[in-house]
Amino acid sequence: MIDALLQDLRYAVRMVRNNPGFSLIVAMTLALGIGANTAIFTLLDQILLRSLPVRDPQQLVQLQFVGSDSGRTSSRGGSPGDYFSYPMYRDLRDRSTVFNGVLATYATQVGVQWHNQPDLATAELVSGNYFETLGVHPAMGRLFVQSDDVVQQAKPVAVLSFNYWQRRFGGDPGILNQTVVINAHPFTVIGIAPKNFHSIVVEDAPDVFATMMMKAEITPGWNDLDNRRSRWLNIFARLKPGVSRNQGEAEINNLWHSIRTDELKDMKVHSATFREKFVEKSRVNLLDGARGFSPLRDVLRTPLLIVMGMVGLVMLIACANVAGLLSVRAVGRMKEISVRYALGARRSRILQQLLIEGLLLGLAGGAVGVMLSPYISALLVQRMASGSPNNLPFSVSPDLRILAFSFVLSLVVSILFSLAPAFHFWRPDLTPALKQQTTTAAGGTMRFRRASVGIQIGLSLLLLFGAGLFARTLYNLRTLDAGFATDHLLTFGIDPKLAGYQPEQIPALYQRLLTTLGALPGVRMAAATNDPLLANNNESTNVTVSGYNAKEDEDMNVEWSIVTPSFFSTLEIPLVAGRGIGEQDGPDAAKVVVINESMARHFFGDPQRAIGQSLGSGAGNGVKMALQIVGVVSDAKHETLRNEVPRTVFVPLLQSKEAGFIPLQFYARTSQAPESTATTIRAALQRIDSGLVPDTMRSMEAQIDDSLNTERMIALLAASFGVLAALLAAVGLYGVLAYSTAQRTREIGIRIALGASRTAVVRLVLSEVAMLVGLSIAVAVPLALSLSRLLRSQLFGVSNNDPWTLAAITGLVAAMALLAAWIPMRRAAGVDPMVALRYE
Amino acid sequence: MIQLRNVERSYKTGAGATYVLRRINLDIQAGDFVTVMGPSGAGKSTMLSILGMLDDGWAGEYHFLDHAVHKLDRKKRADLNRQYIGFVFQSYHLLDNLTVYENLDVPLSYRNVSRGQRASMVAEVLDRFQIVGKKDLYPSQLSGGQQQLVGVARAVVGNPKLILADEPTGNLHSSQAKEIMELFKKLNDQGTTIVQVTHSEANAAYGNRTIQLFDGWIANDPKNEPVPNTTASIG
Ligand SMILES: Nc1ncnc2c1ncn2[C@@H]1O[C@H](COP(=O)(O)OP(=O)(O)OP(=O)(O)O)[C@@H](O)[C@H]1O
Ligand SMILES: [Mg+2]
Repeated sequence: MIDALLQDLRYAVRMVRNNPGFSLIVAMTLALGIGANTAIFTLLDQILLRSLPVRDPQQLVQLQFVGSDSGRTSSRGGSPGDYFSYPMYRDLRDRSTVFNGVLATYATQVGVQWHNQPDLATAELVSGNYFETLGVHPAMGRLFVQSDDVVQQAKPVAVLSFNYWQRRFGGDPGILNQTVVINAHPFTVIGIAPKNFHSIVVEDAPDVFATMMMKAEITPGWNDLDNRRSRWLNIFARLKPGVSRNQGEAEINNLWHSIRTDELKDMKVHSATFREKFVEKSRVNLLDGARGFSPLRDVLRTPLLIVMGMVGLVMLIACANVAGLLSVRAVGRMKEISVRYALGARRSRILQQLLIEGLLLGLAGGAVGVMLSPYISALLVQRMASGSPNNLPFSVSPDLRILAFSFVLSLVVSILFSLAPAFHFWRPDLTPALKQQTTTAAGGTMRFRRASVGIQIGLSLLLLFGAGLFARTLYNLRTLDAGFATDHLLTFGIDPKLAGYQPEQIPALYQRLLTTLGALPGVRMAAATNDPLLANNNESTNVTVSGYNAKEDEDMNVEWSIVTPSFFSTLEIPLVAGRGIGEQDGPDAAKVVVINESMARHFFGDPQRAIGQSLGSGAGNGVKMALQIVGVVSDAKHETLRNEVPRTVFVPLLQSKEAGFIPLQFYARTSQAPESTATTIRAALQRIDSGLVPDTMRSMEAQIDDSLNTERMIALLAASFGVLAALLAAVGLYGVLAYSTAQRTREIGIRIALGASRTAVVRLVLSEVAMLVGLSIAVAVPLALSLSRLLRSQLFGVSNNDPWTLAAITGLVAAMALLAAWIPMRRAAGVDPMVALRYE
Repeated sequence: MIQLRNVERSYKTGAGATYVLRRINLDIQAGDFVTVMGPSGAGKSTMLSILGMLDDGWAGEYHFLDHAVHKLDRKKRADLNRQYIGFVFQSYHLLDNLTVYENLDVPLSYRNVSRGQRASMVAEVLDRFQIVGKKDLYPSQLSGGQQQLVGVARAVVGNPKLILADEPTGNLHSSQAKEIMELFKKLNDQGTTIVQVTHSEANAAYGNRTIQLFDGWIANDPKNEPVPNTTASIG
């Protein structure tokens, strides 16, 4: 048995060595397929599947509540119920009994100063039991314990991430017990987190960890540790061993209802329906927390699955292609196999031999594919991470899991394609085969090759249709009018608190920054807002509008943008009615707002009618209608290009209570290419205060480009996979036609001798193409239409069964088929009956 | 009907050219039944393919009816073939993946014959050759002789004006051969012109004129003076 295996293996190695060209083509085709699949799976695994590198991740749950709430939420994505207030967290932590630890987390940005060098860093604010609960051990020093996190502002200690320690401090162990300045406050470094642990938030790789009790320092101007109605942190917990999620939920919901009942007592006004939604109908779900928290996961799930589906198709195409190639070779081996049968070989033995040969090729392809995959993954990570590729903590190099995936994939694929030709040899008709009359075998092979080419044509149509839809989506988004001029616009963020400014200093600083910016050479105008455009940001608040009777349950939320004077002229958002916001709208002047057209039309029916009306923030009878509408500007896209324009209120910065607390996004309208002004602006900022570090300075066009990364990535992948597939299919089709016309030379010769015209001969070949391509298209088109439904959520401005795209792609595939048929057709038409008939 | 003037056919071989037919002058009248004889390799099949307009690589003049074939392009020649000629191949050349019935139908399908008419013509030929029982078989299921029979049937099915038959009875039993010859004779009597290649004197006897081909030269044609047997080939 082993002997036979070894012998077959030796024979297989010889086959590979004797057909190096063939083997290379097969292995490379497989390598492309396996490499692409491994690359995508590497990312898919980390984003969608993989558990956190912590102790017993299956015991972790994430808390999420449903039901009404009042107050404010600071969300970075995901569901609103993912966010809790600190008092809620404290109650859940201290009063529950089913958990071995309940932890809280919040991500933000901080300024870190070390040896007088300022720098922006990412930070995670965590509860003191964070590391203990997760079961993470330090790389050096110690991690937080609960006692570090008891009294507000009492223990300024920090843990550094392994990467940040390496990057910023050169991996110097001497950093322990040293003081670094975070947001102008001294913190003592007590330890370094382990290398493989980034955060419980999968897509985050914070540089610095600090405790919740230091929130006032980490998020200057915003504490809210005692504010029950301000929800901003995420909660994870570790179930006690033996406690199921259902049991846990039962207990935690008893607790939740009592917490909510207490909370309700503190609220002054509430209706019966609100009470019901707030207490009875509200509950806490324990979600599987093994994979951590990841708003990005929800955003990327569909694109990743789509891309995985696409590379899956590519793999199938590669498989069909290789099976086709192998079956061609099978004809040449018909005699060999027949002789083997005649000499008494069993079918299983023959299959074994074919399998071993296939596996050899498949594993070779797999090995090359695995070597290719990190490059493909790196490319994708770069494309996915908007702007800052270093910050996505995804590894691109395959680990054991990925290697296992590729290995299994190679195995399955090898079995698929090596057994396909085996069915030619299933029950060979020995007599003709031994006489080397291979016509019968060739007939079967041709049928098989046709099927393989048909499958490839069909699959490439699927891919190309997807590519077409995504290309149109990308085009629609890129050519979309954003509502403001996106060219010649440079933008960056400034958060003075991170450089140690106090709230009372900040408005004056902003004033000075704007004046300085506006006077720089190359800058025509400058303005700023707390609510950046096309940056996935929203600042929504509910409002009461004078003279407008809101229906019950009507969504009265509007976007609340705080802007500086000349914001509209800098961004070139046209004024529709009234006036814009100007220098005159200072702290002591009458409170005014400008609204956008969507809002004006919704509440007043017409922009003109909005002028002079008033509104107030908040709901209920006590709302002061203190803000007068003085202008209406036209709509501009806000969160993303895809999203509807929200109803928006623009408030003058200096009239806003928050002027001293909010970081601003600055916009400079430049006269040359915006990038060329970047250096001038940085230098100017340095001159004002070297501690002011601008956050991601880039042109608006670059920012839009970045925001379309996912779309571009999918379109690009679909297009390149589609073209690759179509090329493979075309080559396959050419092979089949060339082979079949060569086989039919005699037949064609006879037909010509019997009076067939050249057109009749061309028609002969053409009908073969038409049959094959027609059938594949007939099968692929309905399939494309039903599969494209899965793409719907990712498309923009084009329907998932857009007939034009489908027609164009079908035409393209048909044209490609005709092109592939061109040479065989010419050859068939040129058959010389004399030559053909002499051949016997 | 046919006039060949100084027709030559050569094949490029290595450095020079091998002549297979040399200065062929031949006249065939409508209604003739001509037999071409000669040793193997003399050029009989070659000449037949030139007459059948299957070959283009010859030099000289060829008049067919009132067409100067040497001036026609390939397409026009193919049109003439289609319109007037039925060809029996030395090695049958049946289409392997078509049944006997379909093989007989093929030449008709190329000649704009209506479907109904085709069916009756094929049925008539099947009947005449007594192969009705074989109509649904494939060539590989026939004996060599039966295949030859189908090959002959296929040549006559379209009622061509000219039948070119390259050893139509080579594989047939003498009684079958006789039937074929009787059929040719009958067709000839009805006005069909026939040129056949054969090694059999008995078959030759059905014709009204026998041409001897030797090494590419017409060695003997009762209608013409024999050409002196000089150098047969160059190169
Ligand atoms: N394609 C070719 N290239 C070179 N020589 C050829 C070619 N076709 C035919 N010949 C030569 O032409 C000569 C005549 O061939 P042809 O088939 O006409 O002979 P034939 O008289 O029909 O013989 P047979 O009685 O054996 O059928 C032969 O010597 C042959 O070798
Ligand atoms: Mg011959």
